[in-house]
Amino acid sequence: MSEEILDMLKAAGLDVLACMHCGTCTGSCPSGRHTSLNTRRILRDARKNRDAVLSDDSLWLCTTCYTCQERCPRQIPITDALLEIRRLAVRKGFMLPEHRKVSELVLNYGHAVPLDEETKKKREELGLDPLPETVRKYPDALRDVQTLLRACKFEELLAEK
Amino acid sequence: MRIGVYVCHCGLNIAGVIDVSALQEMAAELEDVALARDVQFLCSDSGQEGIIQDIKDNKLERVVVAACSPRLHEKTFRRVVEKAGLNPYLLEMVNIREQCSWVHASDPQMATQKAFDLIRMGVAKAKYLKELSSTSSEASKNVLVVGGGVAGIEAALNLADTGFPVTMVEKESTIGGKMALMNEVFPTNDCSICVLAPKMTEVQNHPNITLYTYSEVTDVSGSVGKFQVKVTKKPRFVLEDKCKGCVDLCSAVCPVEIENPMNYGIGKTRAIYMPIPQSVPQVVLIDPEKCVGCGLCEQACPAEAIDYAQEPEEIEFEAGAIIVSTGYQLFDASRKKEYGFGKYPDVITNMQLERMLNSAGPTGGRVLVPSSQEPPKSVAFIQCVGSRDKTVGNEYCSRVCCMAALKNSQMVKERYPEAEITIHYIDIRAAGEMYEEYYERTQRMGVDFIRGKVAEIYQNKEGKPVIRYENTLECRAEEETHDLVVLSTGYEPSKAAEGIGRMLNLSRRPDRFFASAHPKMRPVDAPVSGVFLAGCASGPKEIQVSIAQGGAAASKAMQLLGKGELEADPMGAHVVPEKCIGCRTCVDVCKFGKIRIEDKKAVIDEVSCYGCGDCSAACPEGAILMRNFENEQVLAQIRAATSGKSQSPFVVAFLCNWCSYACADLTGMSRIPYPTNIRVIRMMCSARVNPEFVLEALKGGADGVLVAGCRMDECHYIYGNFDAEKRMDVLREVIGEVGLDRKRLRTLWISAAEGERFSNTITEFVRELEEIGPIGTELKEGSA
Repeated sequence: MSEEILDMLKAAGLDVLACMHCGTCTGSCPSGRHTSLNTRRILRDARKNRDAVLSDDSLWLCTTCYTCQERCPRQIPITDALLEIRRLAVRKGFMLPEHRKVSELVLNYGHAVPLDEETKKKREELGLDPLPETVRKYPDALRDVQTLLRACKFEELLAEK
Repeated sequence: MRIGVYVCHCGLNIAGVIDVSALQEMAAELEDVALARDVQFLCSDSGQEGIIQDIKDNKLERVVVAACSPRLHEKTFRRVVEKAGLNPYLLEMVNIREQCSWVHASDPQMATQKAFDLIRMGVAKAKYLKELSSTSSEASKNVLVVGGGVAGIEAALNLADTGFPVTMVEKESTIGGKMALMNEVFPTNDCSICVLAPKMTEVQNHPNITLYTYSEVTDVSGSVGKFQVKVTKKPRFVLEDKCKGCVDLCSAVCPVEIENPMNYGIGKTRAIYMPIPQSVPQVVLIDPEKCVGCGLCEQACPAEAIDYAQEPEEIEFEAGAIIVSTGYQLFDASRKKEYGFGKYPDVITNMQLERMLNSAGPTGGRVLVPSSQEPPKSVAFIQCVGSRDKTVGNEYCSRVCCMAALKNSQMVKERYPEAEITIHYIDIRAAGEMYEEYYERTQRMGVDFIRGKVAEIYQNKEGKPVIRYENTLECRAEEETHDLVVLSTGYEPSKAAEGIGRMLNLSRRPDRFFASAHPKMRPVDAPVSGVFLAGCASGPKEIQVSIAQGGAAASKAMQLLGKGELEADPMGAHVVPEKCIGCRTCVDVCKFGKIRIEDKKAVIDEVSCYGCGDCSAACPEGAILMRNFENEQVLAQIRAATSGKSQSPFVVAFLCNWCSYACADLTGMSRIPYPTNIRVIRMMCSARVNPEFVLEALKGGADGVLVAGCRMDECHYIYGNFDAEKRMDVLREVIGEVGLDRKRLRTLWISAAEGERFSNTITEFVRELEEIGPIGTELKEGSA
């Protein structure tokens, strides 16, 4: 997939070619200060179509605060590009176990954070219906959501590759 | 008639795309064409000689040159034609490079066809060309120099020493510009004022220079050779001829402390002050905003120089040429919020450091950390603050700041050898004589260089600035605490020069600095005749380059005014009295007041006519001719264009010489492609476009007409494009009323710098015309 990453960015209208490697992005990154994320390097790898960027765990350490994008002196859509790279990574099967887990919850319960027994109890104590007005309460609606997600091939996306 | 047609290969610039031999063959078949040739390089000596020989041998009466833009070589070929004994105005140039080969490289066949159309149009016009002769008029030898920085000073002294009278106008209370504020200057580490002050004094004492400081140009009218200039001298409330410059006496008694604008916020002075110790003239001034009028200075002044009632003074004079050396202003560092300038006391600008390093400056040459008033133990320089930064709208490199930071780091290191100094850079730009060596010397002195733009600054609990950045060579995000952080602020166009820019109708580049007539070949000529640019007015540059430009601008002005007379362009308007009905329309249209009515006939002051052609387009009787752009000449071009109608949609475009035609040239130079469907006719101004031209084009079968001029407020004839727009708006309604789609007439107001936009507009227009269909489609629909 020699040209794939750059082509995909281009197709999404994201031009990263003009990067002058000033490091404003990395220097501004609140996550990179504490983690292995180097924003500039992610974009450099993408620009060179290096597959390694897709399996790079630090790709998932961006909090999408957009500070880098706001400050980039060449106005490169850094955060947007990073999100696009994540999309490709997932399509290629690179996904952190935590994210896979959360996605499975969405698929099974319609929620990334399903209602647990304790919350149900608290709701009852407050005189509320233990189940809120969401798909959790209406199995038909949950089935609709699942149909929708399957139609979008969400399941295939989650499958281990 | 015997016409010679020449097709230039321009090496491969034209011949690489266009089939020049086919073009030559087709041209040879045209009516009245006695001879057609294709030549490798027409502008070369042999190319020129060939034309001269042909004219003589074949008794050619007209010459059509199909080559580059007439803006580049029209003068060259006029001289060639003249050398052969033909009137120089019997030449017509056809632009098949900028408008053809350079923009239609992907479609050689259509490019060749279009080039042939353009040649047919040129030949058609050539048949109607008339002999013209230029007249000469007296020109003032006085040169106005606007701005008394180092570039202006160099220009003024060059001119004055050669014997030209010079009037220098400086808005500040002293000349010397930014250079007078600096400590040492790279790459020699000369004391700045030591090398500049003698020149400043010379300006003041020179018998050929009249100097107005604390003054501004408030109006310029007229044109090259005789600009009428008005200057307003602001009151200093101190009499210049009486003040002895002994500032200690008056300033010592003044009770009001103010910030000296020359010190960029460092230190204080009094409300009556000398801007810098080496001020020229050596005259103090009173800040009227801050003065409380206590009268103490008046009592203290032994020379009776204080005059609280001083009024602004108006001065008027004539100048033959104008040198614009208005300099630059520094980027306002507080706009980069992430650096906290103005909030964190120990974050300062390079200019503030410069003032502190200056031994005659506010700290007497000591570098003091603002919060502690102690010398710094560690200093960080941050480069590219307000340069190479689209987030603040300054895409360009300010070019000087790298060397300035190197220099100031050397200065700090020399005075405080213990201080740790780091320069944070994106790229070190040390391209100049002895600059790279200077960079290396700085490194050897122990100054550290870290590659990576500083992302942000915060203040730690001790109140010290902490910088955050990525060391890009080590791929590491880092933090560092310093005593002092110096922001290397970039250069911006001077706001104060906006007025003179408007008065002279100077155009600006996308970076907002004044544009020269040609970005490469004419670096100190403004696009306006008789106006020259020097120094940072046309972009950031270091002192040595500014001085070189000052000298170059002076020499250009000498060349222009040396003879004391100017050859007037013969291409102005003139009246055919038999046709004129004395309706006064032209008198109202000419905002320059060059037309009057005498004996019920319009009379034009032809020598001072600017030649826009607005009057000619407005005349209901066709009684005003624009030499070289006469109705019958333009109509012949239009008919030649539409009679071929070699493709569909077919667009006839009228472009003004100054902005839109120049923009099309730039589009070519930048190789930005656009559809081949457009055939351009050059006018001096969009105001010249007679509605009849548009109708003739549509009648002939053009599917669309484009009328393009300068951006509003940027017309080289000031009002021309406003008139053109009004005219085209009315015409569009007329077109609508006869049942044609109004969109077939399009206007475009564009600067000479907007190549991309020019290309997009043509693309869009062609697409729109494709949707509407061939001309007349809508009429059939209507009748059906």
